[in-house]
Amino acid sequence: MDNKIGRREFFKKSAQIGFSTALGFGFVSLTEGRVSLSGDESVDICVATGSDYHATTLKTVECLGGMKKFVPQDAKVALLPNSQSRHPGTFTKPEVVRAVIEMCNKAGAKEVNCLTWLKREYWEDSGLAAAVDEAGATMRFIEPEEANFKSVPVPGWKAMKEVMIMKEFYNNDVFIDMPIIKDHAGNKFTGTQKNLMGLNFRTNNRLFHRQDWQTNPESVEYLDQCIVDLNKVVKPTLCVVDATEFITTNGPFGPGELAKPQKIVAGVDRVAIDAYCTTLWGMKGEDIYMIKLGSEQGLGEIDLNKVKIKEIKA
Amino acid sequence: MKIRAFFLHSRVLCCLCFFLSTALGLPAVQGMLIQYLPNRGEAGDWIREGEPQHFEGEALYEYIDGGAEIYHEYGFKRVTVQDFVNRTGKSVSVEVFEMTNSESAYGIFTFKTHKAGRKVSIGADAQLADYYLNFWKGNILVTLTGFDETSETRDGLLLLAQVIDTKLDLSGKRPWIVSYLPRENFMSQSVKYFKGILGLRNSHPFFVLNIWGFEEGAKADYAKGYSVFIFRFKDSDRSFGQYGQLKKRSAEHPEYKVHKTANKEIFTALDNRERRFFVSIHRASIFLVLGDIDHIQALEIFQKIQEEIGD
Repeated sequence: MDNKIGRREFFKKSAQIGFSTALGFGFVSLTEGRVSLSGDESVDICVATGSDYHATTLKTVECLGGMKKFVPQDAKVALLPNSQSRHPGTFTKPEVVRAVIEMCNKAGAKEVNCLTWLKREYWEDSGLAAAVDEAGATMRFIEPEEANFKSVPVPGWKAMKEVMIMKEFYNNDVFIDMPIIKDHAGNKFTGTQKNLMGLNFRTNNRLFHRQDWQTNPESVEYLDQCIVDLNKVVKPTLCVVDATEFITTNGPFGPGELAKPQKIVAGVDRVAIDAYCTTLWGMKGEDIYMIKLGSEQGLGEIDLNKVKIKEIKA
Repeated sequence: MKIRAFFLHSRVLCCLCFFLSTALGLPAVQGMLIQYLPNRGEAGDWIREGEPQHFEGEALYEYIDGGAEIYHEYGFKRVTVQDFVNRTGKSVSVEVFEMTNSESAYGIFTFKTHKAGRKVSIGADAQLADYYLNFWKGNILVTLTGFDETSETRDGLLLLAQVIDTKLDLSGKRPWIVSYLPRENFMSQSVKYFKGILGLRNSHPFFVLNIWGFEEGAKADYAKGYSVFIFRFKDSDRSFGQYGQLKKRSAEHPEYKVHKTANKEIFTALDNRERRFFVSIHRASIFLVLGDIDHIQALEIFQKIQEEIGD
């Protein structure tokens, strides 16, 4: 905590580059989902397509106005890539993570931390641990013990009164959510919202699954509501989503059928990003209950006709 | 005599496995699954790399965090995971899942396979995809995953799977309900077998048509652009209860359009994406046809299923 920059100084810097803070959480965040670009131009989501995933990631964030828009000088940045399995199409690609770390460092981040309570092997097998290390960030392996997590009440909760977020998370100023989109047994889709379960205490995550989930469809929907509740507590400063190669069956662990749209999707509005990503394998945002609930409960815009999407070739 | 010889052979094998696994310092059950893995020299130049991992019961969450539920829905007992490498450095991960029974193994096999996969002759059923292979035999499901899509990796998947297959002295039948799916225009690699709602919802997002409380279900896609579902309930009280609920929910949904039919045991509707579906009830079963199909074709399909099921 000693090296955490002072809140006043930090907010001042944030304000200078056009940010406000998310209420109560101390993270740099945009006031609205839309990102202002030069002149009158603004955008909700940038999507870049290309076979070089490192270059494509750089282009996507550049399209949003560059990492400096999201990472102030001397900020401590928390990253949350997905490293659930080493099967192809199930984890955020190391090239994508490497590009984001490089951009954060170039923007003047004081430190970049990759947070996880998963075992080290998951990160080593996927090549993510090496990528994080080589790009100049730090892997923070949090022991999955209750003492390392903090109980946080959920404002406007519907299913989960409180969640248990890792304490280490709150030592950072900026949060970049970095899921890979993929199939999920139960939710059918996992993206920016579901990825936040990676910050929540495993035992608390297990409570998202009711005892009767095998026989009661309302309990599957309860899981979706719990994820939406979790998203009311943590709001990412930026989402950089790996939609390059991902499994569309047998998720989240795989192996499964691979779709390869070679896209990186970035923005702030989680619901809009997830809704856009469902279209990459023939669905709509409304097909996924979690996305629908997120929209209904004010987390973002599900109607892609109302979302400004900028698509570019990398 | 043959039966007696079979039981004698099985007992000797079990005792031997128990002895070997105990001697190696492993719990007996773990030793049981390790015995199915190829030893050095049995699968060309593919050899084991590192130590095997074992997960039993609820501990599956430690291995498949966020995705263990579907295995438990079908009936999971334990899994052993072992990596293999060959001389050129290619790598394959082998997972041997012991499920509750052969229906569980078949069910999770159908969940993990895809209609685009290629059928291969290994085990009871096997499917090879771009970089992975699944097969089931008895109460065992084997998943082999390569880490690239080269022919060398695919050849390795096939070779390793064939060796494992020869070690699995097991048998089991597909669930009967699968045989009730009509065979005309049938896409055999698309079959799904359900034991619960996670498998069902992953196959099709039924928000309004939440069908639950069934004992088992089966689904297949057809070349003409429709899918057929069959659900079996414990008794006709439950099936009629669910049928009534389905009809009510569809009628009450603002974006669904329910059309009247002359037969009270059939209803048809358009969902919020203008997809037509037909639902029928027959004793303790519910049938559902979804997709590009007209009323007459749907009735013919229901008739065929009823004939297959009989009384």
